[in-house]
Amino acid sequence: MAVSVAPQAPAATAKGSRRSKRGGMAIAERRAGLLFVTPYLIYFLILQLGALVFAFWVSFHHYDLLALDNPFVGLRNYARLPANQDFLIAMRNTTEYAVVVVILQTVFALLLAVLLDSKIKGRNFFRSTWYTPSIASSVVISMIFLYVYHPTGLLNSILGLVGIHTTEAYLESTTWALPAIMFLNIWTTAPTFMLMFLAALQDIPKEIYEASAVDGASAVRKLFSITIPLLRPIIFLVVSLGIIGTFQVFDQMFIMTSGGPLKATLSVALLIYDNLFKDTGTVGVACAEAIVLGLVIFALTLISRRVIDTRIEY
Amino acid sequence: MGIGSSQALDTKINAPVAIATMPAPREVKDTTERINALEVVVRYALYIVITLFLFTPFVMTVLSSFKTSAEVIAFPPTLLPSVWHPENYLNVLTQINGFPRMIFNSFFITFAAVALNLFFDSLVGYAFARLEFPYKNTLFAIMIATMVIPGFVFIVPRYILLLNAHLVNTYGALLVLYFLQPGYILLMTQFFKSIPRDLEEAAIVDGMGWFGIFWKIILPLARPALLATGILTFAGMWNGFFDWLIYMQDATMFNIQLGLTTFRSVYQNQWDLIMAGSVLAILPILLVYLVGQRYFVRGIATTGMK
Repeated sequence: MAVSVAPQAPAATAKGSRRSKRGGMAIAERRAGLLFVTPYLIYFLILQLGALVFAFWVSFHHYDLLALDNPFVGLRNYARLPANQDFLIAMRNTTEYAVVVVILQTVFALLLAVLLDSKIKGRNFFRSTWYTPSIASSVVISMIFLYVYHPTGLLNSILGLVGIHTTEAYLESTTWALPAIMFLNIWTTAPTFMLMFLAALQDIPKEIYEASAVDGASAVRKLFSITIPLLRPIIFLVVSLGIIGTFQVFDQMFIMTSGGPLKATLSVALLIYDNLFKDTGTVGVACAEAIVLGLVIFALTLISRRVIDTRIEY
Repeated sequence: MGIGSSQALDTKINAPVAIATMPAPREVKDTTERINALEVVVRYALYIVITLFLFTPFVMTVLSSFKTSAEVIAFPPTLLPSVWHPENYLNVLTQINGFPRMIFNSFFITFAAVALNLFFDSLVGYAFARLEFPYKNTLFAIMIATMVIPGFVFIVPRYILLLNAHLVNTYGALLVLYFLQPGYILLMTQFFKSIPRDLEEAAIVDGMGWFGIFWKIILPLARPALLATGILTFAGMWNGFFDWLIYMQDATMFNIQLGLTTFRSVYQNQWDLIMAGSVLAILPILLVYLVGQRYFVRGIATTGMK
């Protein structure tokens, strides 16, 4: 390739003529562009594309981290999943968890954002304090809620104040353990989505509300007939991020309940972890489970897109 | 057009994907809401209830961190410690094996990842925003598309890869996985697109190379986006748990989060230590949040990640 030294770079004028004027510069630019983007290219080829292909490859093998020979088993790892009791339990728990958490955290986050989207005094103070649950790590949140859910912890202390005396051990109850973790997650994730809703709310032209005020619309009516329809794209984003996050829930179960009691809080992610590190010869199964989980998440994201419908017209 | 105020930059961003793109907050001029006294009272009552709901666990955690282990879960409960025990914090640092080392590990990886991401995310972002090269649009589309692949799909292959590269149980594992993050490349790309081209054109005339333009002209202008990327990377790395759990095997390689989880099993529910350790684990990120709140909020609104 002949690289002519750029003669005299022309003074820039309009955007369109820019490229055609700079013969040699264009080559230098291509080279710089390719060079600058190389770190991502490496990341993509190895950690994304390579990893994805390898994930499929492993899922077709009886794979063990220490074995020298990992025989090909075709689709067996997938075919056996429907008969795998643990997988079915984990899938049911995870789905139940995801449905409840995604719906409630989206509604709660929207409510928080709508409340904050006003000119009320102390708005910044409230925004900062409300956001705090989202800056703490999953570990710290789990530790705090171990204390909250302790038989004589914060929750039962507060219940005692209002006359409900109980020493229920929420995390050791097959009835309460999963709802307890759901609650924790709504509490800690909703403030993140609150910020996203808040940013979107501030982008809605105020004239729209003014027009509706002339028509005498109530606040609730405005919320449902103006705000929510206009927020559809961001609602879709929040719901899909919620689906992606909740279907991979791991930390809280791992730290607080280890999937118990009696597998009441066994999530798919926790099962994958166990298959990978605790059991032997189930790495291929773990991969198959992860891929199925990924496909479920993908399908549900598409469905939620259909349902929420992101068309938007001001 | 000059590049005097960052205000001008903020409003110019043209985002292909993001929903809310670092907007300068619109002036709230709501003439329609006639707020009467009763509504104000109801509103504030609601705000206070929500604040209590979202904030009480933190207040109680801080107060508990000064109590004895027995008093944390005493029945009937106490609000304030009957005797204040600030030495709980000293005990966390001295009684828990290797806790200072875990704090160091957390800081080390966090700062290393922040430095790497500031450089690589902005470098790649700049190429996507400004330079013309083959397959640029394809690669950019791929980057957006791969962002939605659930992370769990990658866990097994990446683990086997890093195991074979002998990076398990080293800092290298986490640095390889987090030296750049597509979400923040996207954030940087969007920001760079908002910067007027005039300055670069002038630099090209002066014969400056592309890296020089990036390093000397563009980066200094990208402060808001760099701060958002840096702060969010700090938050993500400091709060990291799962990758440490998978890749770090010796307690000397744990971070503060992974270390905290061992309090439960190893130290048999010593609530004083658990509470003090939790406060220590949240403190740095809380400080970063309080100082850089603006950028934090913008970054999350832009990328939807944290």
